[in-house]
This record gives sequence, C-alpha cells and structure tokens, in this order.
Amino acid sequence: MMLKQKFLFVALIVSNLLLAQSQQKFTISGTIKDSASGEQLIGVIVEVKELPGTGEATNQYGFYSLTLPQGNYTLIYDYLGYKTDSLKITLHQNIKHNINLAEAGSTLQEVSVEGGAKSDANVTSAQTGMVTLNVKDIAKIPVFFGERDVLKTVELVPGVVSAGDGNSGFYVRGGAADQNLILLDEATVYNAYHLLGFFSVFNSDALKDVTLYKSGMPVEYGGRLASVEDIRMNDGNDQTYHVSGGIGLISSRLSFEGPIKKGKGSFLISGRRTYADLFLKLSNNSALRNSSLYFYDFNAKGNYTLGENDRIYISGYLGKDVLGADNVFGINWGNATATLRWNHIFGAKLFSNTSLIFSNYDYNIDITTAGINLGIQSTIRDWNLKEEFQLFPNSKNKVIFGFSSIYHTIIPGNLVSLDSNINSTNIQTRYAWENSVFASDEIKVSDRVKFVAGLRVTSFSLLGPGTFYTYNAAGNPIDSSKYSGGQFVKTYINPEPRFNATYLLNEFSSVKASYDRNVQNMHLLSNSTSSNPTSLWTPSSNNIQPEIADQFSIGYYRNFLNNKYEFSVETYYKLMQNQIDYKNGAQLVLNENVESELLYGHGKSYGAEFFLKRKYGKLTGWIGYTLSKTELQIPGINNDAWYPATQDITNAIDVVAIYELSEKWSFSATFIYNTGYPVTFPSGKYEVNRNLLYYYTSRNGYRMPAYDRMDVGATYKCKKHKHYQADWCFSIYNVYDRWNAYTITFQQNPNNPQETQAVLTALFGIIPSISYDFKF
Amino acid sequence: MISNSRTIKKYRWLFVIGCLLLIMGCQKVINIDLNSASPAIVIIGNVNDQPGPYTVTLSQTVNFSDPNTFPAISGAFITISDNAGTTDTLTETTSGNYHTKKIMGVAGRTYNLTVRANGQTYTSSSTMPQPVPFDTLIVVQQDGFRDTNLYPQAQFQDPAAISNYYRFIETRNDTLQTRIFTIDDQYSNGRYIDYTLRSDTGLAVGDSVKVEMQCIDQGTYQYFNTFREASGGQTNVTPANPVSNISNNALGYFSAHTSRYRAIKVP
Repeated sequence: MMLKQKFLFVALIVSNLLLAQSQQKFTISGTIKDSASGEQLIGVIVEVKELPGTGEATNQYGFYSLTLPQGNYTLIYDYLGYKTDSLKITLHQNIKHNINLAEAGSTLQEVSVEGGAKSDANVTSAQTGMVTLNVKDIAKIPVFFGERDVLKTVELVPGVVSAGDGNSGFYVRGGAADQNLILLDEATVYNAYHLLGFFSVFNSDALKDVTLYKSGMPVEYGGRLASVEDIRMNDGNDQTYHVSGGIGLISSRLSFEGPIKKGKGSFLISGRRTYADLFLKLSNNSALRNSSLYFYDFNAKGNYTLGENDRIYISGYLGKDVLGADNVFGINWGNATATLRWNHIFGAKLFSNTSLIFSNYDYNIDITTAGINLGIQSTIRDWNLKEEFQLFPNSKNKVIFGFSSIYHTIIPGNLVSLDSNINSTNIQTRYAWENSVFASDEIKVSDRVKFVAGLRVTSFSLLGPGTFYTYNAAGNPIDSSKYSGGQFVKTYINPEPRFNATYLLNEFSSVKASYDRNVQNMHLLSNSTSSNPTSLWTPSSNNIQPEIADQFSIGYYRNFLNNKYEFSVETYYKLMQNQIDYKNGAQLVLNENVESELLYGHGKSYGAEFFLKRKYGKLTGWIGYTLSKTELQIPGINNDAWYPATQDITNAIDVVAIYELSEKWSFSATFIYNTGYPVTFPSGKYEVNRNLLYYYTSRNGYRMPAYDRMDVGATYKCKKHKHYQADWCFSIYNVYDRWNAYTITFQQNPNNPQETQAVLTALFGIIPSISYDFKF
Repeated sequence: MISNSRTIKKYRWLFVIGCLLLIMGCQKVINIDLNSASPAIVIIGNVNDQPGPYTVTLSQTVNFSDPNTFPAISGAFITISDNAGTTDTLTETTSGNYHTKKIMGVAGRTYNLTVRANGQTYTSSSTMPQPVPFDTLIVVQQDGFRDTNLYPQAQFQDPAAISNYYRFIETRNDTLQTRIFTIDDQYSNGRYIDYTLRSDTGLAVGDSVKVEMQCIDQGTYQYFNTFREASGGQTNVTPANPVSNISNNALGYFSAHTSRYRAIKVP
C-alpha cells in the first residue's frame, strides 16, 4: 500500500514538473524602425496570430516586449501606412528581434494583411480620450497661409476648441488655456504659440507625431488639469542625407538630416522664419516701415546607438518672436528647451528612459519714447530630472513606474529704468521644487477586459529665499515672513489616482470608462479677454492652492468595415477646485502683491463628443461634434452666482476631408463651427466727467457671434527628378470670407453723438496662399 | 512720464492691435441685442480744500439703445459730514445737482457722504490728503506713434514719506478734456516728477490750457484706475464697472481732494 502511494505521489510531482516545464515562458523583444529613414515607429501593433488578444504596441522609442509560453508562433507587425510584416519564431529562449518596416507604396490601396487589417487600437486599447496625429496626416491639412501646424490640427479634434482668431491657446473639455501640458520631447513649452496665435512654435518638418490625452492621462504625465500634448521630434534619417524645405508667402523653412554613422546614429536640424514685416516695408507710413514683425524657430536633434541595449538622444529647440514699432516700442518673447535622454534595455522585459530636461521662457518689453526709457523682463526656467521604467513581466501586465523632479525659477518681472522719473524695480524671484513618483499597471484581466490602475503622487514646495505675504480680504498685506535660500515656505502633497477600464463587446467594439485626478501647481495669470505673451506664470504658494480636477469619462467605440472607419462617443464630467479669477481692476503686471488680487472658487465641465474617422482610401478625414458646458462659481464675482467660463463653447463641429485624386493631385478641406464664447457686454450706459461709460451687470452674460470658417487646399506633386521631389501647395483660408469677430467694442456713433453702437473687429478675411515644398 | 504699469499695458496693446489692424484688420458696425437693466444710480461727489460750495450730482443709467441723455435724480436727501463735528445737508439747485451750504474742505479730514434716493441708501467716505505744491505747468513737444505733438506737462516734487495719488484735470479753451489722468508714486516715490498730460490730440498754438492738480485718496485713485475697463474701447481686461468707493452698488465716486491750479497759453 505504502509503496503504491509513494509511487503515485512521485508520479504526480514529476508530471507537475513536466507540465510546468512545458509552460515556461520566454520573451521576444526588440525595436521597430522605418526601413528607409531609421526613425523609430511609435504605436506599431505586434500581434501573435496563434494567441489573439496578446498583442502589444511599441512605446515612444519603438520598443516592444512580449512574454509568451514556449512554442511556435507567427508574429504580425502592423502599422497604418506601412507594409505589414510577419515573422515565424520558435520561442524556446528569449529572442531579441529588431525589425524594419517599409512604407506602403501609396495609401490609395487598402493595406491587406493576413487576418484582416488591424489598427483597431482605438477599440482595444485601455485608454480613453486619446488621439494620435501622425505628422504625415498633419502635412495634408494647410491651416493658415499654407502652413501646416500640429497644434492647429489638434484644434480640429472633438473636445478641443481654439481660443479664437488672434489668441494663443486652446481649450480642452472646457479647461483653460494654461491647463494643457504641451511637451516637446518631454520638455514643457510655456508659450506654444507665435505672434498672437497665428502658428504654434512647432515646425512640423522636425516632428514625428503628437499624442493628445483628454482624459485617463497615463501616470507618467502630470502638472496640468485638462490635457497632455506629447509631441515627439523625428530622430533624423540614419541611412542617407536629405535636405527639405518650403518657401511660402510669409514664412520659409529648411531642414537637414542625415546619419552620424549609418544605422547607428543620426541628426536633424530644422529652421523656420517668417517675414511678415517685409510687407510692412511697402507701407506709406514711415513708422510702419521701421517696424518689425517676425519670428523664428530652430530645432536640432541628434541620437546615437551605443550598443544593443543603449541609445542616447539630445534634442533642443530655440524660438523667438519679435514685434517692434519704429524703435519706440519693442516686445520679444521666446522659448528655449533642451532634452538629454538615455534609453537602456535591461534584459528583455525592462525598458528605461532617463531624461534631463531644461526649459526656459522669457519675454522682454522695451519702451523708448520721449520721456520714457525702460525695459521689463520676465523669465520662467525649469530643470527637470525624470526616470521612467516600463516593465513587461508577462503577457498580462505592463507596469510603468518612475519619478520626476523639477526645479522652477520664476522671475515675474524686473523693471529697468534708464530715466529719472521711474525707479527700477525687481519683483521677487520665486523658487519651487516639484517632485512626483508614479506607478501603474495595465492588466489584461481576460480576453475582454483590460484595466489600468495607477497612482501619481506630487509634492510641490515653494522655497526661499524671499519675503512672503499674507493678505486680508481687502487685499492689504497683514503679515510677512522672510525665508532664506532653500527653506521650505509651503508644501502641498497631492495623490493623483488614474484608472482606465476597457470592456470589449466584440472584435470591433468596446466600452471604456476612466477616472483621473490631475493637480496643477503652476498657474497662468491673465485677466485679458485676449491672451497675450506677457501673461504671468505663478507657482502655488501660501496664498494660492493647487488646482485640482477630477474627471469621469465613459465612451463607446466601434470600428466598421475592417477598421476603415472609427467611431466613438465619449462623455465626460469634470469637477475643478481652486480655480482662479481676478478682482475687478486687478493689477497683474509688475505687482509685488499680485496674490492679493486673486479670487478662488470651483468649476464644473461636462459634455459629449462624437467622432467618425475614415482612415484609408481615396477620401480620408473625420467629422467631430462636441456638445458641452463649463461654468465657474467664484465668491466675489457675479454676485457669487455660477457664470459661464470663457471656455464654455456649447456646440463645436469640425470636418476634415482629404481627397487623393491621383498620384499628382490631392485636395483638402476643413470646416469649423463653434458657438461664440461667453463675453461681458454692457446692459446700460451713463456719463461721468463727460466720459460715456458702460454699465455691466453679469459676468459673461452674453455670447460673441458664432465662429465658422472653411479652408481649402490643393497639393500638386511635381515629377520626381532623381532624388528631387517638390510639391506646390495652394490654399485659401476662410474661403467664404466670413468676418469672424476678434473683439466687439462699443463707442459713440461718430455721426450721431446721441447714439452708441457696437463695432466688430475681425482679423482675417479671405487669404489665398501659395507655397513650394521640396525634398532631396 | 509713466509711473505705473497701466500705461505700459496701454502702449503694448496700442501697438499690437495697431499693427494687426493696419495689416489686415477689418471693422464694421453691427447690431447687437443687449438686455435692458433696471436703472442704476450714478453718484458723483467732490469736496476740495478751496472755498465751497461743493457739489454732488445724481443721475441714472439708461439702456444701450436709448439716446445719450441721462436723467437726473431729483428730491434725494444728501448729507456730507466731516470728522470735526460738522454735518451739512445739501440743497438741490438745478435738477440732479446738490450743493453744500457750510461745510469746509480741510486737508487731513475725513468726509462721509450719505445719499438717500429712490428708497435706497448709499454711503461713502474719503480722506483729503495733505496738499502737494503744483510747481510749474509748461508745454512740451513729444513724439507719438506717428507724429510729434504739444502737450501740457505738470512738474512737482513727490513726498517720499507717504503713498501719493494724483489726478489732473485739463481744460482747453474752456472745454473740459475727457481724458482721465491719474498717477501714483509706486515707481517714482520721492522723485521730482514731470507728468505729461497726453490726450488723443495735441495742443495748438494759441490754446489756453488750465490744469487742476488734485491730491486724491486711494479709493478715488482705484476708481479712476479702473475707469478704462468700463469705457468700452479696446481694453485687454475683462470689462467691469469701475471699483466705486460708494456702497450698495452705486456707480460713480466720492472724492475729497486738494486742488491747485495753473494756467498757460501755448506760445
């Protein structure tokens, strides 16, 4: 008896071991690049034919890692616009396989693949509120004066609305213009627009793609309430040298890229300059002839692969806007960023990215007119050290963890006076230290359910040296404390949970939900009706608390006809705390006691976004519709009642259509409609000391007229000579010449002083444009 | 001469908007439906250190589409008292204009205004600062954006020990100039100040210019500093009613100030 039992027992153990042996798992990993240029491809879907649902997408550096049980598999590499590739492997040890994908001949043919075209990431991914725009798509949509612009194209996505003609910034889901985290290769860009919002600072020749997160932000991002725009630069062609550029009516650009060592390293240099002021030289007015109005952008990037597992990158951006009037007045502003990164792959499952990031934004105002000679300068500067690990332990989990540490230096305003009537003044410089740790796990609970659970904890400290004041309700300082360098004045610690869940209804549709909390400690103070580059960034302090937003979002996603069409409906509800507004007559510029001018309250925003996209074929494009509401309640404003925020745009419609007629001709059209933004108009008038004054009752009680505009463009591809390729691009901005209101102001009728009238100022009527782009 | 950032803001926006409009801006008059509001009271009261009587004016707002004639408020009960024990009840002379009888304007005293009209009570308080001598008034030539003009310039010494607020009122050929000139000494405390009164148009040769220099208190200064936000022109701030130093949502202001006068004829 005993022997039989023993024998059975041993047999059980041995068979278990054998079974365990056969279930041993191995990892296949590698980096995916474009075969012609060597650019790492972001978001390539790597699927296993035999195990549906175990696929992964490549990360921002083209890296993927799949852990599967031992066996034979067919891997499929699928990416829109590229020829799908497949690979047969026998997985009985860890495999490192880098792969190069070739671009599809033309997007006119549908990309056909074993098992049907994939790219169903919008349905299957565990991410709500995410939109990816590839620079190749952006290149087909001219936005203004024939320029292509990544942020202007982002504004065409549902949930995103431009702040208006002539204004810089955009609103995402009712968030203010400063609540968007705009990153260029991980560096924060504080003012992402040039000359009053004509163009963004991003030259699309240097870019790879942009990912926009409207909700469910991944844990590695933090610091702004409403959205993240993660913009990545190209690395540069590591096979051959290329020069490309364009000449347009008001701006021109030039790029140069090539290998540092073929297949191992590459560089990219790109520059752009406008010359709108050349037109001023044609003016009869001598003051205008001596005026200047231009901007430039300069991007540079280099990278080098040190070994199989190491790669370093260095990227930088420098840009400046100059506006000057006849040596009397000048203003210039600009951003400078630099990022140094090191990618390291530990074994097959752990990817690490270490970054050292520098970001600087400043503006200068010079006034030299009779009797006045002064300069005002303001700067904000960040040093950031960031570490992010991506761990792929098995096919069911993807773990991200890391930390970020930012040291902020803010110089709110230095006034240097060269004249005897005005004292030079320095508003105190402020220092802050912002630290975050984050971790998340994306879990494939089952074939149908994916869940992301994450937590980011941010600690924000205002540091000395300096004198810090507290104020009473009337705005007078009642207390001041002096701190020395490095002392902690005030610290805020905030946890930011992030949850996303996806339930696959079937192969082509899903339901997703998310909850995220975001905290913002850098606030843009601007009591302007139109945004301007001299608005003031200010840190949380003993008076200003961090802004907090909690967002709940639910969406339904469905693809049609083999993922040719993507459709989604997303709804959201956002609660915001510690929102800032200003007392009447608030003095924000060069005010030591600016914090005494602020009022605080809360806000809420909710809405629904509908999106239909056609991804390939002769006609591609999308239609988006957003219905939403955003309101604020701030004691001291509007008699403490809820009022519509400036970002409250009830209806917004975006239509983008790109038609590729033939190899030579392609056409594009965009149409935008939004409800006018809320505005404060008078409800009466009266007279004081012979001045006509307007009487205001409620804040934002009226609306500007609706904004609508259609743009069209046509691109003609010239015959290719050897390596030289050129296109002509024709575009018409605002085809039906609608005078969209920039401002509405009120005045006495010059012909009848008894009457008052409203005057609408529009900035742009119909503007045709032509540009020539080349590449060799 | 500029001594506060408000003028810097004005310059900045003037040029930016000016450039833009000259390049490609378009303007047109439009019809807008603006709501009617129930009329609000406008109180303007001034007490200075010259002999009285002093005047308080009451009027009302009208709807935007109405003609620019503003009805006066008659039959109100108005008193002004000081902190030296005098209370004066004002009498209405012409419709909407109320005059004091006996109260004296003395630097350093605090004056309290009470208005009872249309069933509501409005109060205000203003303290008359110490006078600052108005040294000289001259005519200067200065460059504008496009041309060179003549403007009056006031010269005086700002006392360093305290915060001072000033208002200048220009009368040209007996016509009151509408432009509001107020400055503080935030950036020029203790300095000798040359303040140019830059109106939209310059002076012509032969013009008679009279300038009143007022030392005003902070409440009055705050009112005039926020005046532009209600004047409907190109401003870069959310429009709002000027910050009034009168209670109960009254529009207007009450100012106790010192007045010094100088006159010059443009040569």
